[in-house]
Amino acid sequence: MSHPHGPPPEEVIRRRERAREQPPGRDITPAVGTRGMPARWRRAVEGASVALARPAWGDARWSYLYGREGAARYGSDRPADGEVAAAARRMRGGREVPVPALGPFINPPVWTWEVPVYFWFGGMATGSSFAALAADVAGDYQAAALARKVTLAAVLPCAPLLILDLGRPLRFLHMLRIFKPRSAMSMGAWCLVAFTNGAVAAVGADLLERPRLARTAGAATGVLGTYLGSYTGVLLAATAVPVWARSRAYLPAIFMCTAAATGAAANRLALAATGRPPGDPSRQALGVLETLAMACELVLSGVNERRLGRLAESLEHDTPGRWFSVAKWTVRGGLALRLAGRRAPWLQHVTSGLFLAGALAFRMGWVGAGRSSAHDDEAVALMARRKARPLGREPV
Amino acid sequence: MSAAPTEIAVRREEPVPRMGFFTDTTTCIGCKACEVACKQWNDLPADGWRPEGRGGSYDYTGRLSASTWRHVRFVETVKPSPEQQRAAQELLAQGRVGALPDLPATAGPGGPAPGPRDEELPSLVEVAEGITASARLGGEGSGADGALLDRWAFFSDVCKHCTNAGCLDACPTGALIRTEFQTVIVQPDICNGCGYCIPSCPFGVIDRDPYDGRAAKCTLCYDRLEDGLEPACAKACPTDAIQFGPRDELVEQAERRVLALHERGLDGAYLYGAGDEPGEQLAGDLGAFFLLTEPPERFGLPAQAESPAQENGPTATAAGLAAGTVAVAAAVASFVVTHHRRRR
Repeated sequence: MSHPHGPPPEEVIRRRERAREQPPGRDITPAVGTRGMPARWRRAVEGASVALARPAWGDARWSYLYGREGAARYGSDRPADGEVAAAARRMRGGREVPVPALGPFINPPVWTWEVPVYFWFGGMATGSSFAALAADVAGDYQAAALARKVTLAAVLPCAPLLILDLGRPLRFLHMLRIFKPRSAMSMGAWCLVAFTNGAVAAVGADLLERPRLARTAGAATGVLGTYLGSYTGVLLAATAVPVWARSRAYLPAIFMCTAAATGAAANRLALAATGRPPGDPSRQALGVLETLAMACELVLSGVNERRLGRLAESLEHDTPGRWFSVAKWTVRGGLALRLAGRRAPWLQHVTSGLFLAGALAFRMGWVGAGRSSAHDDEAVALMARRKARPLGREPV
Repeated sequence: MSAAPTEIAVRREEPVPRMGFFTDTTTCIGCKACEVACKQWNDLPADGWRPEGRGGSYDYTGRLSASTWRHVRFVETVKPSPEQQRAAQELLAQGRVGALPDLPATAGPGGPAPGPRDEELPSLVEVAEGITASARLGGEGSGADGALLDRWAFFSDVCKHCTNAGCLDACPTGALIRTEFQTVIVQPDICNGCGYCIPSCPFGVIDRDPYDGRAAKCTLCYDRLEDGLEPACAKACPTDAIQFGPRDELVEQAERRVLALHERGLDGAYLYGAGDEPGEQLAGDLGAFFLLTEPPERFGLPAQAESPAQENGPTATAAGLAAGTVAVAAAVASFVVTHHRRRR
C-alpha cells in the first residue's frame, strides 16, 4: 500500500511517540542508531572477523599490567596465606558502620498504587474464601455460596491491576512462561491464576446448582488462599529493602491478618445486605473473625515496629508514616466501636467499613515504606553490617 | 565459588571459564571513558543533566540505572581551609563555642551530613588554579575562602554478576538468565517490566527504564564475548583499572595486587567480592569484583550481601503458610462455635 500524501502512518506514529516520550531535560537519543528502529546487529559480511581482534579475549592481555615489567610493579609474588581474606574481613566484617553511608545503595521499588490496591483486593478474596470454607464446614450453605461470590468479585480486579503495573502490559502472559518456585512473584502469579479459576468454577457450580462441586472448588480456593494471602508478604520480604526484609517473619503474618479481616468484613456486610438479622450466627462469626484478625494485625505491627528499631523509621515518617497512622487510628476506632456499639447494628456496619478502609491504608503504607526505606542509605548500610557474623576470629 | 551448573541457560560444546571484571580503584583516574564506551556500544541514551542527582558531588550521572550500566562514582571529601580553621580556633580561644561556624566535616561518623553539601564543594576551576598557585607559593594556601577538597576517590561501579544473583532469583518470567560465561543478562524480548528484580538487587544495579518499560543492566557485553572481544568498558579503560578475563586468573592477579599494596603501606586495601573464605562471601562471590581501600559504605556498597530471595524467602514462606493455616482454623472455629451455640 502506498501513501502518496506524506509519510507512512507508522512513521507519523513514531514521530509523535518520540515527541511525547522526550522527557524534559533528558535527551534520549541513542549514541548510535535510531531510537525505535530495529538494531543493526547483522554483520555486513557473514562470518567475518573483527579487525585487529585477538581470539579468546587475547586483547584483554595487551595490558601493560600483564607485561613482564609492569606485572612485577603491579602485584606481589609472595604467598597470600589468608592475608587477602583477612583484609576484607577487617574492612567489611564489623557490625557497626564505620563511615557515613554515602548512597545511593539500592534502587527503590518502582511499583505504583496498583500494587497495594491489588494486595487489598487479593487479601479480601483470600479472607472470603476462608469464610466460604468455614461456612460450609458449619453447615450454612447459603452464606458459603454468598462468600464464594464475594471471593470472585474481589479476585476479578486483581489480574488487571497487576497487568496495569507492568512496564510492558501487553506481555502479561510472560508471567506464565515458567514455573519458578524460588521467585515469589512467579509462584504468586500461578497461585492467582489457580485461585481465580477455582473461584470462577465455584460460583459457576453454584449457578448450575451443583452444590458438591461448588463446595469442593470453594475448599480448593480456600487452601490456595493460604498462599495467595501470605505470598504478598513473602514478595516484599524477599527483597533487599531493609524495612521489608527485616520484617520477613512478621510481614506475611500481618498481611494474612489483614486478608482475613477484610474478607470477613466484606462478607459480613454482604450477609447483612441480603437481609440476615443481627443475631444470625454466620454474621456473628464473621464479626468475631474480623475483630480478632484486626486486633492481631495491630499487635503484630506494633511488635514488629518495636523490634525493627532504627529500620522502622520509614514506617513513621512522610507519606507512608501518614498512611500508617491513618490505618492504625481507623482500626483502633473500629475496635472501639465494636466494643461500644453492641446494641446498634448500623454501628457494626461502620466498624466493618472502618476495617476495610484501615486495611487499604495499611497496604498503601507498607508498599510506600519500602520506597522510603530504599532511599534511607543509613538503614541499608546498617542492615548489611548487621548480617556480619560476630568476629570470632580476629584478623591476622 | 561458581554458579550452579543447572542454572546456566546457554550451552556450548566446549566449556568456557567464568568471565568477570576486576576493577581496581587504586588505578582509576575517574575519566569516565568506561561509562561513555558502554553507552556507545550498547546504544544507551544519555541521562542528561539531573539537577536532583547526587548533591555534593562533581558526579552528574549519579547512579547505575537502566540507561547507565557502568558508572564512575565520585566520592569527594572536603576539609576546612586554613582560614576557616584559624577563625574557628580564635572563636574557641575566646570561649565562644556556640558561635562556631558550620565546618565541613565528612570524614568521621556523626558528621552533619553523610557527604559534603553542594555549597561546600570548591569550584573545580579554583581547585585547579589553587594547585598551580600553591606550587608557586611553596604549598601554602589556595587563596580560596571556602573548604578545600581533601580527597577525591573514584569507583567504577558495574553489575556484579553475582553467583547468588538476587535479580535472577526474583525474575518471574525467566527474562534474566545465566549465560555460559556465568554472567547474568536480561533478555529484552522476554522482560515484561514487572519490576521485581529492582528491589531484589542488594547492590542497586538493575533498574526499569521509565521510557522503555523494561528492566536493563550490564550484560558484561555478552555480544562481544561471543565474538572473543573484551567488554567495551575494559577495552576503553586507559589505566587498566578495569581488567577483564577468566575470573580465576583475575582473582589471582587481584590478590597479588592487594599484597603489593599492603607491602607499600596501604593497609586498607582489600578485595570486595573475591578471595573470601566460604561463609563470608558476598552473594556467593561476585563475578565482577573490586579492589577498594576504604570501607564499602563510602562507595554505596553494602558490607554484607546475599540474594534476598535465598536469604529471606524460605523463612517468609513458612511464616506465611503457618499464618494462613491459623487463619483458616480461626475462621472454621468461629463459625462452628457460633452455629453450635445457636443450635443448643
